[in-house]
Amino acid sequence: MTSPRWSSPAMAIGAGPVTLTIPAVPAMVRVARLTASALANLADFSIDEIDDIKIAVSEVVTLLIQQGDGGVVTLEFGTDEMFTIVGSTTAAALPLAQDDVALTAAVLDAVSDSHELTTSDDRIVIRIAKSSTADPTAR
Amino acid sequence: MEEIGRNESIRVVIDESGTVVAEGDIDLAGGPLLEAAILRREGAEPIVIDLAKVEFIDSSGLRSLLAASRRASDRGTSVVLRRPSTGVVRLLAITGTTDQFELEGVDE
Repeated sequence: MTSPRWSSPAMAIGAGPVTLTIPAVPAMVRVARLTASALANLADFSIDEIDDIKIAVSEVVTLLIQQGDGGVVTLEFGTDEMFTIVGSTTAAALPLAQDDVALTAAVLDAVSDSHELTTSDDRIVIRIAKSSTADPTAR
Repeated sequence: MEEIGRNESIRVVIDESGTVVAEGDIDLAGGPLLEAAILRREGAEPIVIDLAKVEFIDSSGLRSLLAASRRASDRGTSVVLRRPSTGVVRLLAITGTTDQFELEGVDE
């Protein structure tokens, strides 16, 4: 049975988006995961949903590190309507290597409600949204 | 038991039976250490990788396993994933790559 998906948030943190700027190094992927996990937990996402959010943010940061030029990676986490992740960095080269993007897209299809990768000028931007199955009226 | 390496994501050892054992997260930081251990064992057939203590894996970690699978296939052998954790099994399923490996000890 498919669980209902509510358009309103499980619980908005209420302080606006949280922005994380990290160096483009592999060790930072875990830092981004831990940050996203903590925010999703604050917003009352379920354990399974938090697992999906951890995978999603890991995919975002990995792609940005691999396709970026080594400059900083910026992540913005929001919890107003859904859990949202907007990641960006400066591209090393465009267009992106499609083999790398295809496996990432397959994973994001499964763990998020929507995802979009755009490139403009020299920037790569990835936007992801994940809704909660929690019933906000139960609070 | 020989420790191949450890970092903030993962610890990888080769145990007395020659099994590659990964503990922690197989991500962009952990994948290269796992790959180094796999390369050390590529004289042995098949390569057995114990993933019971893997807490997280993403597509970059999966690429390390898929690369090992492709090399093994080229040699006419295979990669055995022993006791893969729930996260590993799920990632294999959603990427359609389960059939690239032999799975042992999967929880029903």
